[in-house]
Amino acid sequence: MTQSTLSEMDILPAKHSPWRNLSFVWLVPILALLVSLGVAWQNYSNKGTLITIVFQDAAGIMPNDTTIKFRDVIIGAVEDVNFTKDMSHVEVTARINKDVADTLSPETLFWVVRPEVSARGISGLSTVLSGVYLDAAWTPVTGSNARAFEGLKAAPLIRPGHEGTRIKIRSKNGTSLAPGAPVFFRGMEVGQLDTPKLSETGDSTDVEAFINAPYDKFLTSDSRFWNMAGFSVTLGPAGLDLNVASLGSLLTGGVAFENIVSGGEPVTNDTLFRLFTNEAAARDSIFTQLGTNSIKMSVIFTESVSGLASGAPVEYRGLRIGQITSIGAFIAKSATGKSKVNMRALISIDPQAFGLETDTNAEATHDFIEKLVKDGMRARLATTSIFSAALKIELADIPDAAPAVFAKDADGTPIIPSVKSELPDFTATAEGVLQRVNNLPIEEVMNQAVSLMAAIETIASAPGTQRAPDAILGLIDDARGLIGKDDTQAIPGELRSMIADLRSIVADLKNQGAAEQLASALKSFDKASADIAAASGDLPALITDLRAIATKVNNLKAEELIAAVTRVMDSTDALIGTDGAKSIPPALASALTEVEAALKELREGGAVTNTNAALASAREAADAVAVAAKTFPDVTAQLDAVISKADALLSTYGAKSTFNSETLDLLRELQAAAKSVNQLARTIERNPNSLILGR
Amino acid sequence: MENAGNARGYLTARDAGLVNCTTCGRVHPASDTECLRCGAALTSRDTKSLQKVWAWWAAGIIAFIPANTYPMLKTATLGKQTEGTLLGGIVELVHHGSIGIAAIVFFASIAIPASKFFAVAYLALGIGRPSRLSAHRRHQVYEVVEFVGRWSMIDVFVVAILAALVQLGSAASIHPGIAAVSFALSVAFTMLSAQSFDPRQIWDADKEHSK
Repeated sequence: MTQSTLSEMDILPAKHSPWRNLSFVWLVPILALLVSLGVAWQNYSNKGTLITIVFQDAAGIMPNDTTIKFRDVIIGAVEDVNFTKDMSHVEVTARINKDVADTLSPETLFWVVRPEVSARGISGLSTVLSGVYLDAAWTPVTGSNARAFEGLKAAPLIRPGHEGTRIKIRSKNGTSLAPGAPVFFRGMEVGQLDTPKLSETGDSTDVEAFINAPYDKFLTSDSRFWNMAGFSVTLGPAGLDLNVASLGSLLTGGVAFENIVSGGEPVTNDTLFRLFTNEAAARDSIFTQLGTNSIKMSVIFTESVSGLASGAPVEYRGLRIGQITSIGAFIAKSATGKSKVNMRALISIDPQAFGLETDTNAEATHDFIEKLVKDGMRARLATTSIFSAALKIELADIPDAAPAVFAKDADGTPIIPSVKSELPDFTATAEGVLQRVNNLPIEEVMNQAVSLMAAIETIASAPGTQRAPDAILGLIDDARGLIGKDDTQAIPGELRSMIADLRSIVADLKNQGAAEQLASALKSFDKASADIAAASGDLPALITDLRAIATKVNNLKAEELIAAVTRVMDSTDALIGTDGAKSIPPALASALTEVEAALKELREGGAVTNTNAALASAREAADAVAVAAKTFPDVTAQLDAVISKADALLSTYGAKSTFNSETLDLLRELQAAAKSVNQLARTIERNPNSLILGR
Repeated sequence: MENAGNARGYLTARDAGLVNCTTCGRVHPASDTECLRCGAALTSRDTKSLQKVWAWWAAGIIAFIPANTYPMLKTATLGKQTEGTLLGGIVELVHHGSIGIAAIVFFASIAIPASKFFAVAYLALGIGRPSRLSAHRRHQVYEVVEFVGRWSMIDVFVVAILAALVQLGSAASIHPGIAAVSFALSVAFTMLSAQSFDPRQIWDADKEHSK
């Protein structure tokens, strides 16, 4: 009974109020709910922002699988891959971390990272196993709401967000500028090129280059860029110079820059620079920079302009005042109605080079040049240097120039009247000497020499000569024997250079008017010696010396010749001093003095020494070319070996991938290039002169 | 009098004026409040039992949702990360043709926990109202739920073992996801829920109903 009452009582309180007896266990589901909601909310808020990227194709992009990375940190993932409405592109929808998405600038670059092998190395190797991923690069902005982007076909060479300066390089011929080619500064790689693009007008190639910080501080408005295509071969007085920058640049080319002149201001982004074909051109460019107010003129030549190229200098009294912009031919009707093809060179002239004010207008410059033309300034062709066949236009003051009008041609360009150039008269240049030596008809010369000897013999056999001492006859015999000798005839090269030397000496002498002096002096000497013939017993000794001179002449050493002549002079002096000579007519003495003076003049003029030196260096150059050419095949052989190694290496990568075939193509081209270089080297080896003579 | 009024044909401890120690099993007179053997508090009925059951049950349900929607395993193979949910994994197994394994996983991870929720809810709801199943059957259901509860942790053990074993650096690595934790919690909560249930109330309800 009691128990029953108790149990009844036990049950009833449970029905009182549910709140009073609420178990603390309820806290658990409430807590669980809160945690779950918290997690869900956090997840939702972190879900990221949807962006779309349009690609040409979706190579390897997998929904939910392909990640998007920025500086190798995952910032999102691809959610969907679809076509654009017109089916021409692929639209990739991706979810990007919210805080990252807010910094995306509209110019953000996205590209697919895949394994890539190029001359600059191998990249993206990790994606071989893990599959492709999207890489992104941008310059962070705040509060951006750009959500649609355009994807790149390939990884950009210049990525935003890197420190440095972006510049533009314009090249007239974009040869060997490969995307990603390095930019060098004093041999250091300081940046790289983007993909070259044709300029809007199509007359030049523009390529963006990125100079990494801190090297971009070396870039100034006076920096000069030049092409460093793989290797360069230059020929100069020091011989053949082969330059190979790096294997990378051998394959992709490269660009170097330097500040040739100091002072130049720091550059900003997108500054435009001109690309020169080589370092020499870049260095020369500081002289070829034309002012903004340069004026156009034309020059008409009736002769050949072979060797004249656009860009060649226009000089006035040796100072560069402009350059040739173009060369063309046109048909001119002469007064008699005959058609004739004339050559016209368009030139730009910088008034500043004349010393005019920097802001001189075109009219003032025009008037100034008109005045110069009135005073006898004429244009003519001239060679640029002794080692090249290149021509320049020289504006020279010709005192007795035929009067000419400062006319204008059909399109209104003023014409600077031209005179026939002195090009055929090459005596002043070593090239001219070599040219002439080359053109010398050796047989003719030999024949002439023989006939000269015959004439001398005739003279010698003449009754008047009969009386001359036997020594003269012996001398003539010796000379004839020398000329007739087989080995003398077998060394035409030596003879050629000897004749060249002689000719140049003679020309110099002629120029200085010494020849006439010497001739007259010798004439009087001749006359005097005839007088002496009977009078002096010491004469044979003098004759012997003269013979020695002749031998020296044969040996072609001009200095020695002069020395020998001096010695003869000394001995002649001594002779004059002897008692036997007392009776020599005063005419002889004066003749000798004249000879002495002439020789002195000759020696002091230094012309002989100069010419000799020039010839010697020319010969040295030729020898150096020959030596260099001999080593060149080794270089190409090495190159060949490198290529075949690379070939073998690549073939181990597996046969059919496109990159492989592309690289192989490239290598084959390189091989072909190496072969032609080899051929060139052989040609040079066989005939080093051809480089100097340009054939 | 109580016995006389009992139409069920069996006698409960309460009817007999006794109370059982749930800890050690010793039977005491109903007046005792403390177990003479083990010192545990003695109550003939746990009045707050139902509350606890529902509280744990709710917590279990709440934890069960993320256990199925969030990834169970995060597998990183060669830089490629994949996340798999429970259901996703089962679907994948079916796609690969491993229907047997898919069935095991499905039963162990989805069917059993879900049926436990239903069973506990059914039992809890069955108190205080007429039930189609007899009290004895319901008690059997309770015993099964209690027994099966611990086996649901297999999933969690698998994840724990995999995560511990497969750590091969960048080649392959496995990390437990949020779902693993949620699932473990869910299982623990349902076990607590089932344990909180005082099966003696089944009989009371029956009695009241029959009254």
